[in-house]
Amino acid sequence: MKTIVKYLIMKWNSLYGKRCLSIIPLIGIMGCTAFVEVDPPKNIMVSETVFNDPSTVESAMADLYFTMRESGMVSGNYGFTTRLAIYSDELDYYGFNPQLLEFYQNRVLPPNTEVLAWWSEAYKVIYGANAIVEGIEGATDLEESEQDRFMGQALFVRAFMHSLLVSVFGDVPYITTTDYAFNNQVSRMSEDLVYERIISDLVRAVGLMENSTIENEERLVPDRNVAKALLARVYLYTDQWDLAEAEAADVIGNFGLEDELGMVFLKESMETIWQLQHGEFPGNTQEASQLIIPFVPGQSFALTDGLLSAFEDGDGRRSEWIDSISNEEQTITLYYPFKYKARFDVTESLEYSIHFRLAEQYLIRSEARTRLGNLIGAREDLNMIRNRAGLANTTANSESELLEAILAERRVELFTEQGHRWFDLRRTGRATAVLGMFKPDWEDTDVLFPIPEIELEANPNLLPQNQGY
Amino acid sequence: MRRGFLLMLLFVFLMSFFSFHVQAGTVLEPPQATVSGTVTDTSGNPLAGVNLVVESKNIGTISDFDGSFSINAGPTDVLIFSMVGFKSLTVPIAGREEVFVQLEEDVTVLGEVVLNAGYYSVSERERTGNIATIKADVMEKQPVANPLGAMQGHLSGVNIVQSTGVPGGGFSIEVRGQNFINGVTDPLYIVDGVPYGSQSLGSEDISRDIVNSDISPLNAINPNDIESIEVLKDADATAIYGSRGANGVVLITTKKGRAGKTRFDAHLSTSLGQVSHFMDLMDTQQYLVVRREGVSNDGLDGFLGVPAYDFYWPDITLWDQNRYTDWQRELIGGTAYRNNAQLSVSGGSERTQFLVSGAFLKETTVFPGDANYKRANVHSNINHRSDNDRFRLNLSTSYSQEDNLLPRSDLSFQAYTLAPNAPALFDEDGNLNWENNTWDNPLAALEEKFGVKTSTVLANALISYELVKDLEVRASMGYTDYSLDSYRTLPSSARNPRFNFTPQSYSSLTTNSSKRNSWIIEPQLQWKKDWKKLSMDVLLGTTFQQETTEQLVMRGTGFPNNSLIFNLTAADRVEVRNSADSDYKYNAVFGRVNLKLLDRYILNLTGRRDGSSRFGPGKQFGNFGAVGLAWIFSEEALLSDSSVLSFGKLRGSYGTTGSDNIGDYQFLDTYTVTGSDYDGVAILSPSGIFNPLFGWEVNKKLEAGLELGFFRDRVFVNASWYRNRSSNQLVGVPLAATTGFSELTGNFDATVENSGIELDFRSANLSTETFKWSTTFNISVPKSKLVRYDGLETSTFANRYVIGEPLSIVKLYRSLGVDPETGQYVIEDYNGDGNISSSGDLEWIEDLAPKFYGGLGNTLNWGNMTFDVFLQFKKQKGYNTLRDNTVPGFRRNAGVELYHDRWREPGDMNTYQVASSGLIAGSNNGDLQRRSSAAVSDASFIRVRNISLNYRVPHLENGLDVNVYLQGQNLWTFTKYKGPDPEQTLNNRLPPLRQLTLGLKVGF
Repeated sequence: MKTIVKYLIMKWNSLYGKRCLSIIPLIGIMGCTAFVEVDPPKNIMVSETVFNDPSTVESAMADLYFTMRESGMVSGNYGFTTRLAIYSDELDYYGFNPQLLEFYQNRVLPPNTEVLAWWSEAYKVIYGANAIVEGIEGATDLEESEQDRFMGQALFVRAFMHSLLVSVFGDVPYITTTDYAFNNQVSRMSEDLVYERIISDLVRAVGLMENSTIENEERLVPDRNVAKALLARVYLYTDQWDLAEAEAADVIGNFGLEDELGMVFLKESMETIWQLQHGEFPGNTQEASQLIIPFVPGQSFALTDGLLSAFEDGDGRRSEWIDSISNEEQTITLYYPFKYKARFDVTESLEYSIHFRLAEQYLIRSEARTRLGNLIGAREDLNMIRNRAGLANTTANSESELLEAILAERRVELFTEQGHRWFDLRRTGRATAVLGMFKPDWEDTDVLFPIPEIELEANPNLLPQNQGY
Repeated sequence: MRRGFLLMLLFVFLMSFFSFHVQAGTVLEPPQATVSGTVTDTSGNPLAGVNLVVESKNIGTISDFDGSFSINAGPTDVLIFSMVGFKSLTVPIAGREEVFVQLEEDVTVLGEVVLNAGYYSVSERERTGNIATIKADVMEKQPVANPLGAMQGHLSGVNIVQSTGVPGGGFSIEVRGQNFINGVTDPLYIVDGVPYGSQSLGSEDISRDIVNSDISPLNAINPNDIESIEVLKDADATAIYGSRGANGVVLITTKKGRAGKTRFDAHLSTSLGQVSHFMDLMDTQQYLVVRREGVSNDGLDGFLGVPAYDFYWPDITLWDQNRYTDWQRELIGGTAYRNNAQLSVSGGSERTQFLVSGAFLKETTVFPGDANYKRANVHSNINHRSDNDRFRLNLSTSYSQEDNLLPRSDLSFQAYTLAPNAPALFDEDGNLNWENNTWDNPLAALEEKFGVKTSTVLANALISYELVKDLEVRASMGYTDYSLDSYRTLPSSARNPRFNFTPQSYSSLTTNSSKRNSWIIEPQLQWKKDWKKLSMDVLLGTTFQQETTEQLVMRGTGFPNNSLIFNLTAADRVEVRNSADSDYKYNAVFGRVNLKLLDRYILNLTGRRDGSSRFGPGKQFGNFGAVGLAWIFSEEALLSDSSVLSFGKLRGSYGTTGSDNIGDYQFLDTYTVTGSDYDGVAILSPSGIFNPLFGWEVNKKLEAGLELGFFRDRVFVNASWYRNRSSNQLVGVPLAATTGFSELTGNFDATVENSGIELDFRSANLSTETFKWSTTFNISVPKSKLVRYDGLETSTFANRYVIGEPLSIVKLYRSLGVDPETGQYVIEDYNGDGNISSSGDLEWIEDLAPKFYGGLGNTLNWGNMTFDVFLQFKKQKGYNTLRDNTVPGFRRNAGVELYHDRWREPGDMNTYQVASSGLIAGSNNGDLQRRSSAAVSDASFIRVRNISLNYRVPHLENGLDVNVYLQGQNLWTFTKYKGPDPEQTLNNRLPPLRQLTLGLKVGF
């Protein structure tokens, strides 16, 4: 039977050509391969065509910013801002979401879905960045300046996401290809090596974006300054003080501090280096909706007493960037971050989510200068931030006093912003000393988060799990 | 393509030319004398529609509804009376002017029961494949709105579960088990020869909370318009459907007109539906006892007096401690009314028959409020054959419209879980009561509207012409158009006022407008030849099909006020959530060769070569085929005189089918427009990894069957054994997140085997002139296992599937009950690492697929009364209430057993652990128990699915035919299962309702 069918098919094919599947001569109707080929639908584009038009590349880039804003480590709803604030000592958590309680109680388990989302959303963005890098390399119809700009931005995004991954997971794979077969079995890379790759991508990105003009009035997409700001941060984290100072100085030269504390988080703020625009709904930042307590009871997060008492008397930030609310009976009062003031119900767009701002660069340079022995320069930088907050010049004199003062300043300047406090505790090796005191479940190994359990199952090459999990 | 279409048009044109020619050339014989009379059955009831021909002359007619006839025939002519289900009778006129004839019922009707096999039809007697069927007479006895509802329990090998009791919801169906790891079990649906897309076009954004997004297109088909449903199960029957036959084929044939006097039929019915089983939940006093106990056990009682914490336990500190509401009666305790009216006109001559029918149905819900479902259907059919019988034409069209208005979420979950002392629904002024913003009023869901309107057009034409003797050319053409418009509103007024939502900041309207239309053309050639000992039937055909689907989902947010919420143009911001279209093209050549030797050796070969656009270049085509054999051994000389065995047949088949049921464009490396934007730049998001090796799933079916008839087929048994193996499985192979994707759809070297035994039994137990009793019984014993899955241990399916076990298993922790000393649940630590974790301790396996299922029906006929009882049974396990409620003391109501059987002090032996407030994460929350062996228990049942009592009013004048009936659906369920319903075990879906129907049928 089978051979007969085969023979018949062969016969048809030889008679009517390979592309035609068969023929019923009596009826005279042909069935051809051409019939069962369809055009892609209007909402789908084949990759090749995306990279031959700058506007569609722009659209592919926009997806990266959108994904960062909406999910994972960068987003206001699920990212470092709230999660690392309760994991460290900035916010208390009043809810009973078991995933978040694991953070608050420093008992994060490998199946934690928040951590899984950090991991997988980051690599999703990295895939997108790599697809752009590869697409641009193969593109023929783009002008060179366009190629440089997109390539620079994609490399920045790739480096940025890896810098976040390495900061919470330690050793992680540095992904530079879209090949799923390779990425599916990839191994982890040492923290040092990851930082090396980050720096090399960023240096390349800075070079590529040096000469290309980027329309970036609202600072909504990464440009050369953003790449340099991240470089400064990464150099600081890797103890490369001279390079950190140089990069921070470059950035500081291009921006100025706002005089008014109330202006710092507005979308027009001149000290913003990079910010992500909010979505259609909510009409303002996710950070504001997460952190502002609309009524008591009903709070999720509130500032810890420890952070409140860290402000010196007369610190303008204590009054300008913090607000409070009480219950109807006036029996309890809770304090919350009030840097972003417009929640989703404010229909006018006032604020964007800021990810790099000038104050951090001053503090980076101050710290780098201290380490390099330039205490005068370090004090100058620190005082820029203190004076803006209405505080007198620092009284710190020695290198160690200054380092303490800078750390204390970072705590009150950068509080509840993308986990700065947590990273400061971690990189200075103080996490256990500070948090172990009042967090009963704290363990030394909590300085790293667990690699998500299901990822270890999906790719055993990622083993071993981080210590303590 | 274009060329094919033009040729098709030419073909149609030629056909009509032939028919014209045929009619013009026919000459009728001059009339002779008239003979009239009546035809009745043996009990004296007039028989309508009896075929009547004058032997050896080209004259014929049909008896009217009162059984009368008149025909032109000479005094020496001979009349032949024939009708399906009766023995033919030859009556010489012998000079009479009036002839009275009684036709005897034929119990041995096997040879005349004709089954629709799709491209061809075959008699029950000669079929080589396995085809299960349900006819209109059985379906009519069941008051259901969806054709799948009428099939439940009646067909062996077909497992159908109703997914919700909400009108307009869907059903899940499995023909001989789940073949594919990706979970798609939908069979191919063919309505009057036209493939009918059964996949819901509902949008998650809109209908997830009310009908689980499953807006079944099959709801558009009125069960009363259906003549028969056939389910093709084995390779012999399904291989001719090639790549789409793997999960079986469901053929729906609509009603046709019958010759005779023009007849009018009216059918009216009213149903009352209610939830058939309420759960036994805690009352206020019991509830508060365990609540307080839970708070205290967690060491939180110190906070009980602190107002800042009141929002965690308003039921204990703020609400009336004596108030009691039975939320099940309040929220799902109403009566759903269904009114159904149908009018039809049918009739015609021997050559041309017609049927036009219109129906209207309205069904309300058991929820409070005025939600309702409306459906209107119009169905028509014209059938014509030329005088010389060479040209035939059949046209059917159906149009239906559905309009479903429901609350946007199912209130069942609230009914089962709301605290019994929760506040009143309305305040004194009749507004929603928010009790100082301390609860979310469940009736707010009634302010949030869900609406869906669909319209469906189904049209098909079958034209055939006998070119020369034995050779027929025909074409089947069909068109379907299904459109769906749905919306969901979320007004700010439905939210707790404490959020300060305003229409500007919160109110939203989401709309979904979707379309699917398809056309199909299938030209065919059939050659039939009978020789002395051998007959042969050859069919050759080709298919061109195209289906396009479009969906547009939009959301508008921010309205000036809530009364403008239905108008998208009034929205402040409008975003497109989804704008998708897809195109599916399909091309095939198919054929069948049937050989019958000596009336008892039958060979049936079927095959198909298929091309589908769902696969990448070079992978689009596949070949499928089957061989079927039957031996009617009762025809052998040795047995032909047996008085006991009246029929015996052995049959078997083997063949391959496939499945391309995996969505369009899956093989492409793509970016998708998501509808979102960043800073005004539309977003293109990576959506697919290029995978050119993407091909068919293959399903190989093997079947053997034995059919036996005893005592002139009064007792008939049909037993089959099957084994289906599915390989080349298309699964979303899970990828590590480092790839940027969670999975890649590709063919995987895994084999799933479904085997089983099916038994169908029917008998005419008693048959006297006044009393008749017949019984039907079917049982299916399915067995399924994952035969092979290379690399399962290292894949992410490692925790879901086990080689040698079915796909329907769940892996669970093993519960060791409650520790009498600590009052905590104890879970078996399989790997002994001191931790209970999903990686090493989910080792307890339960299979949730039925072990066996079937139905038992009895029909009693006593004069003008007919009484039917149909029982459905299923042996299975399912998730029990422990899946939802494992710990006493949570802020939600639960079964009263959590109060009575909870652990309180050391030494207690109880089923449920110590009470806990559920507020302390990670401890006492019963999460492991919920996923343990204790959460699965027996969910077997015997259900009185249907009882029907019909009375036919006797001795009416003028051919008037009146029937009154009372029917009950889903009346009683005998089960040990504790939840709302043993078949549908989710506690957030309304269980299927118990329905009682009173109906009247009038025909004249």
